[in-house]
Amino acid sequence: MTVKPIKKLVKYNKAETRTAWLCLLPSVIGLVCITYLPMIASFALSLFNWDGLGEMQYKGLHNYVKLFTSDTKFYSSLWVTLKYSFMSVTLSIVYSMMIALLLNRKIPARSFFRAIFYLPYVLPAMAVYLGWKWLYDFNHGFLNYIVRLLGFAPVKFLDSSTLVTPSLAFIAVWLSGNLIVIFLAGLQNVPRTYHEAAEIDGANAWQRFWKITIPCMTPIIFYNLLMSLVSNLQVITPALSLTKGGPGTGSYYMCFMLYQQAFKSHKYGYGSAVAVVLFILIAIFTAILFATSKGWIFYEGDDKE
Amino acid sequence: MKKLLALILFVVMLIPTMAIAEDDRIHITYSFWGNQTEAESVQVALDAFNAMQDRIFVEPMQIPNEEYTQTLVNYAIADQLPDCGMVNENAVLYFARNGVMADVSDMYAGEQLQPMDCITFKDDGTPVGYSSCNEILVLYYNKDMFDAAGEPYPSADEPYTWDEFVEVAKRLTIDVNGNHPGDDGFDANNIVQYGAFVNNWTWQMEVWALSNGGAWFTEDGKECVINTPEAIESIQKVADLALVEHVAPLNVIPEDNGVGIGIGSGTVAMTTDGTWRLGTDFPNLDINYGIAPLPVMEEKVTLCTSGLTGVFKGKNQEAAYEFVKWYTREESNWESLILTGIWLPKSEYYYTTEEGINAWLGNEKYPYNHDMETGKKVLVDYTMNNAKPACWYFTPNTQITTNEILFTALQSVWSGERTAEDVINEIYPELCEAIVVD
Amino acid sequence: MIFAFNNSSRLASRRKREKAANFLSMAVLVVLGAIVMFPIYWIFRSSLMSNGELYAYPPAFTPPNWRFSNYRDTLEVFEYWKFLGNTMTILVPSVIGAVITATMGGYAFARLRFRGKKILFMLCVGSMLLPSMVTLIPLFVVWAKIGLVNTYWPLILPHFCGGGAFNIFLIRQFVKTVPRELDEAATIDGCGYFRILVYIIMPAIKSAMIVVGLLKFIELWNDLLQQVTYITRRDQYTLALGLNIFKGSFNDDWSSIMCATCLSFIPGIVFYLIGQKYFVEGIVMTGMKN
Repeated sequence: MTVKPIKKLVKYNKAETRTAWLCLLPSVIGLVCITYLPMIASFALSLFNWDGLGEMQYKGLHNYVKLFTSDTKFYSSLWVTLKYSFMSVTLSIVYSMMIALLLNRKIPARSFFRAIFYLPYVLPAMAVYLGWKWLYDFNHGFLNYIVRLLGFAPVKFLDSSTLVTPSLAFIAVWLSGNLIVIFLAGLQNVPRTYHEAAEIDGANAWQRFWKITIPCMTPIIFYNLLMSLVSNLQVITPALSLTKGGPGTGSYYMCFMLYQQAFKSHKYGYGSAVAVVLFILIAIFTAILFATSKGWIFYEGDDKE
Repeated sequence: MKKLLALILFVVMLIPTMAIAEDDRIHITYSFWGNQTEAESVQVALDAFNAMQDRIFVEPMQIPNEEYTQTLVNYAIADQLPDCGMVNENAVLYFARNGVMADVSDMYAGEQLQPMDCITFKDDGTPVGYSSCNEILVLYYNKDMFDAAGEPYPSADEPYTWDEFVEVAKRLTIDVNGNHPGDDGFDANNIVQYGAFVNNWTWQMEVWALSNGGAWFTEDGKECVINTPEAIESIQKVADLALVEHVAPLNVIPEDNGVGIGIGSGTVAMTTDGTWRLGTDFPNLDINYGIAPLPVMEEKVTLCTSGLTGVFKGKNQEAAYEFVKWYTREESNWESLILTGIWLPKSEYYYTTEEGINAWLGNEKYPYNHDMETGKKVLVDYTMNNAKPACWYFTPNTQITTNEILFTALQSVWSGERTAEDVINEIYPELCEAIVVD
Repeated sequence: MIFAFNNSSRLASRRKREKAANFLSMAVLVVLGAIVMFPIYWIFRSSLMSNGELYAYPPAFTPPNWRFSNYRDTLEVFEYWKFLGNTMTILVPSVIGAVITATMGGYAFARLRFRGKKILFMLCVGSMLLPSMVTLIPLFVVWAKIGLVNTYWPLILPHFCGGGAFNIFLIRQFVKTVPRELDEAATIDGCGYFRILVYIIMPAIKSAMIVVGLLKFIELWNDLLQQVTYITRRDQYTLALGLNIFKGSFNDDWSSIMCATCLSFIPGIVFYLIGQKYFVEGIVMTGMKN
């Protein structure tokens, strides 16, 4: 413990710096070559019109102007992306927290149940969506078969522009096994002594959940929130493999729009502009999350740095 | 442990980079998409060509269908295009216009077999490529289902009018209680058998505009006319089959086709689709089916289309040209593609002369040879007299118009959320802008 | 006396309540578990039916004829073992590379002090915000110029570069939970930073490394777009690409797609079963505090 202050006097230890850069060398190469250089290229591309095969034409901010002023699909895309992210993030956080709480009890066959809830996550995503197609289908899907049996009109799960996003978000919740495992780990780290002390003080289970479990879990909730927000704002697989962006713009998520514009319509400049906007959007959300995190994340004293 | 790991890594990484033994033949690559069967038949053809001469060696390059064009474009951007390959219909003019494809306009000069004009891609009127085969749209029907309903088969001479088509479809549509649409107590939510399924893939929808006396684009490819009442009405009529008449299953994301989901399983009695299904689907379906011309809104018309095999510019261009010229002749694909029913021949000879027609339609291997009379009327006569080229043969940027703008917009019509008129008027300016080339 | 009595009666009622609660949780888990498993069962059921049966109405809850022959037919065209081998050729080195380099990166960010650490870490987190397809074309052009298209290099090498920001971040979080006293003791014993990483840190965060491996495994398994772009030779096809061969140019063979899908589930499940002991127990041990 006494070593620390001494080390702080030495500005940066040479050997330490050298080791750090050696350790980070692969990551830095990756960040520069695989992420940031191509990213700059694609930012630059957004200032051009380019169909991939022909000449590039410099257009300044034309693509952005078009995106924000005359492309009606862009705003729908923005809206459904936010809607999808909001639904799948909140629902999957609540769902996985609930499952984790249940799995955290002393119940028989715990690892079996854990495997069941984790299983959807380890299966190939494309394949999983194909399976869901057969459940959601309007004409021969299983869910609508049940609906019809109950005497109702069949539901357009994927065939209505308002229902498609909730339906896809439901699949995202189903897929959130990784969140469950991380929550479970966190729950098992909540010190039992806190609960016991609170119980002696007469707190009931509900109070203990809100006053102890949740505060102790905030760092993990934050982590899961961030990860699932970032990945859900970049949603594309369900649109690619199930709905093709439709009906109308019902699942025309921004990543899908980027894919469609750049790779299918060969409007690479325009697609890059969408990518830039998406990037900024995600950055804003991440920044908000980080900014507010200080207010609601509870750090145990010994883990604070 | 670490050394072992390093060794494994090293070996594993070497495997894919091992080069193919060199010889003095010109190696060219041919790119294509398709499933296992298609890949095998391509390999058979390549083997035949490679064995036939000793100057050129063709290697296959297989790319999944969905990602085909974008992958080719990636290769083009990196200057690594294959030497020749299939080109999706909606990308032909895009490739040609950007100078990626070699000039093949004289490929069939002086030959006895000339590809039909209907399947010639034209950029601003200049031929830039010929489809590898011909495909038209027809009406398929399940004979057993017609028999069960006591309904006469669709005629090959006198195609249904649209209203007749809807009426027949109503009689073939049955709910759980055995009622038909229009009957008292018909339960539209519990239909067990549908009368019709009109394929609503975006490009196939163009035929109904033509049938209704309209069009999507003018024949010079310079103007979009999809906002005319005829074109709009044709789209609405198809959508109404499911939404209003209850004679067709709802198909909002047009991926499914009526042959696979309907006729084959006995849940749909009639469907419209392309002639390739004679070879790709029906041989695997154990059903009694027939073919007839498409129903008619105003004019007897069908659409003809097919992708092409392109020669890409590059240092092996001449070798590729030679291969493509050989490969796209009917004889080279006779057994694997034409007699199986997947392709219709592309040269007029096979439609206009008796021996030409007999060579395929009359062949004992041809899937629809049992009813030559009908086959002649539906496949041969319609191709010669009633077939119009799909819009991508003459309109630029269909990869944007049909693939992207219309595909997305029409889904709202299929789902019944918006009318065709509403949707088309909204996207019309976008479509007009998309076909302008500079 | 009164105290003790009070305590034990409270304990007894608490036990009772706990028992009831456990029973209730068990019941909820069974119901939810059945719901979660249902889609997977549905895929499996579909793989044992013919195309016609798949589209029949009403849908069959169990296959009308258990067509196990579907699997035989599918395996005839779906070269499962070859595709699996190819997939593993990409996956194994990539996963190893990602785990090693992410561990190194995470260690540096968590433990070592050096100039520029903050900004580098921000750049690292920032790279998570970018959809990976944005960089596809520029990278492809570079790989093509080097002449490595149609090899596995473009699919493997990038994973030797840190294994992605998410994984570096994850490892960093875990390394932070390892008590500093351990490395300080090792330093006093004369260990360098690398030896601390290998002998102190890595054993302590073994479970996190397994999690990274699993995440990488799943990510690569699902990454069709990259594979489509770089691999065009049939003998190099991976499972993800192989699934595509049932989607022909004209028709989709659904029952074969479903069979191939079920077959492609197996490696993921096996990997989970092998890894689960380590990573679930592991996370529990170390926790994931910030």
